[in-house]
Amino acid sequence: MEVFVQLLANTLQIGSVYVLFALGLTLIFGVMKIVNFAHGAFFTAAALVVTSVMPFATATLGLSLPASYLLAAIAAFAVVLCIGAVVFSFGFQYVLKDLNGSFILSIGLLLVLNGIYLAIYGGAPRSVPQVLPDTINIFGARLTEQRLALVIIAIVVTGGLYLLIERTRLGLALRAVAQDQEAAMLQGMPYRRVALSGFLIGAALAACAGVLMAPINAVTTVSGDEFLIKAFIIIIIGGLGSVAGAIVGGLFIGMVESVGGYFFDPSTATLAMFILVIAFLLVRPQGILGNAD
Amino acid sequence: MHGRSHSQSGMRRPGPVRLLGLAALSILLAQGAAAQETLKLGISAPMSGAAATWGLGMEWAAEQAAERINAEGGLSAGGETYMLDIVAYDNKYSATEGARAAQTMLSRDGVKFVVGAIGTAPVRAMQALTERQGVILFNTAWGKSVKGPDFPYTFTQMNTPFEILEPFYTFVKEQHPDVKTAVLISPNDATGQELEPLAIETWKSLGVEMLASDWYERGTTEFQPIATKIASLDPDVVDFSAAPPGDVGAILKELDVLGWDGVKVMSAGTSVDALTAVAGEAAEDAYLGASADFDGPTATEVQRELNAGAREAIGEPLNGITISSYDAVMALQAAIKAADSVDPAKVKDALPTVRFESSYGPSGFGGEALYGYPQQMLLPVIVTQVKDGKPVELTRTNPAELEALLNK
Repeated sequence: MEVFVQLLANTLQIGSVYVLFALGLTLIFGVMKIVNFAHGAFFTAAALVVTSVMPFATATLGLSLPASYLLAAIAAFAVVLCIGAVVFSFGFQYVLKDLNGSFILSIGLLLVLNGIYLAIYGGAPRSVPQVLPDTINIFGARLTEQRLALVIIAIVVTGGLYLLIERTRLGLALRAVAQDQEAAMLQGMPYRRVALSGFLIGAALAACAGVLMAPINAVTTVSGDEFLIKAFIIIIIGGLGSVAGAIVGGLFIGMVESVGGYFFDPSTATLAMFILVIAFLLVRPQGILGNAD
Repeated sequence: MHGRSHSQSGMRRPGPVRLLGLAALSILLAQGAAAQETLKLGISAPMSGAAATWGLGMEWAAEQAAERINAEGGLSAGGETYMLDIVAYDNKYSATEGARAAQTMLSRDGVKFVVGAIGTAPVRAMQALTERQGVILFNTAWGKSVKGPDFPYTFTQMNTPFEILEPFYTFVKEQHPDVKTAVLISPNDATGQELEPLAIETWKSLGVEMLASDWYERGTTEFQPIATKIASLDPDVVDFSAAPPGDVGAILKELDVLGWDGVKVMSAGTSVDALTAVAGEAAEDAYLGASADFDGPTATEVQRELNAGAREAIGEPLNGITISSYDAVMALQAAIKAADSVDPAKVKDALPTVRFESSYGPSGFGGEALYGYPQQMLLPVIVTQVKDGKPVELTRTNPAELEALLNK
């Protein structure tokens, strides 16, 4: 019984990060109809900023660990939003709804950003202390408070995104351009501005995942890229452009990884994910919650 | 007035004396250029990604060796003097990139000597070209498949599991005579696959039963599932095989959360800094088979100097992998001197018999009995343990061939 509770806890821990990461990717695809291979670079930038600002804030400014983490998180969001605004203004706004163009642009951008991160931070893994390092036991499942906080924050952020999309004018505009961009423009919606908003929200979600993971995993200059392939698997299974699909897909892949890794091994679990993607592409290419068109 | 006269004389055709002077100057310049040829030494290693620290360190160590030799006037062979120049390529730890790096290095840069290549898969890809084109390939690949009489241009510049595992596991078993069970975790690539059967066999010969041998993909981000499995099996030992320090650190951290506290063994453990950066206190007491304390009392003067320089230049201390390019350049220098030539075919024939000063001390090549060709650099096997976040050397064993070489 304890093993199954632990596997459930593992699923939630793994799945919650995947959900946050995949939500941004699917939102950008839904609004801009582009595939952003540089999405992982936003995650990486945020995590790297946390590893720079936190030690500085504690050692030089004398802040407590939670305060320095908060300051680092603010700095990380600011940096990622700046990078997002720059790459949108000088690149992505010219390839809206252009899959080939966005593919080439985002791959090039990824290489450039990775090179910049490597030049600034070097190749060694970086880490910061956990703000909540204690281990807790929930019905036999052991996890750190930091991981539990990550799960709770991921749920709150996902709920917030849902409310933003369903209950606000910006959300309405995002849904409108996602459904039919030309019809939305005919209604007077500024498509590029809405696309920029969607792009920045997507980047902020990746930044959120990066900020939450920085105290948990070691950060390297390619940390985000390692999540990218999983995020593509998730949004293919969940449904390209579907917010609910990203949530379902993220938790599903988290479960495959958790259960498969335990009963077989992580390599088999990874293989199973790729087999699942092939199966979905053959049987239900629109994914679990995607639209058939 | 003088300027004008100079200008006017400049318009005249040069006389025979001037022509002779120019010719003499040209010959002198040409001789000067010929006297200082450049010998390019290649490196194919991961310069990005999780293993970037290995590639960057290896490039830096090779540059130090090249700078030392250049500062002493370069390398003389066949009446020429060669200044060494390091050219490094990112192989991203993959066969595809390894092949691409090899193509560029050999075809465009005309490299005839590779003084460092990391990863069995990229090395195999590179070897297909280097052996065919007669290019010397020093590498750190752990796979046995890259060695043998069919690969006479290939030389291994660091200890591999075939040198490390037996003395390493035996020492760990002596420290923990009660251990009876183990779990092996290996990266699912050429290195891991070649190491796994040897690791299982060696543990078995020491009376340790392997409860499970599991695989994971490089680039895995979440290690809770495998940690949960290990904790539920509750082995006395977890052997992380060829897993890099970052991945081991992540698993150790999760095992710590789950309350497992057994003997931690890293055959490919190279960098304590990288391990503790990820695992923190969970890395305490871990045994490493490929690390060394290059600041400690048993380190040589060269190792201390290089280590201090590396910390300053790349922010990372050196380890068994990264320092190996320094040793490869030193071995190459000795072989070129012995062959009195930079022809790779002659250098290849000289390498198995040369004696040179590695960063560890006197060294040479051996391993003919095991691999069928003397292409393994002879170096001490050093076992270290993490104590208070630092590597502490516990024991140092010289292979029999190295011992014989030292006693000559």
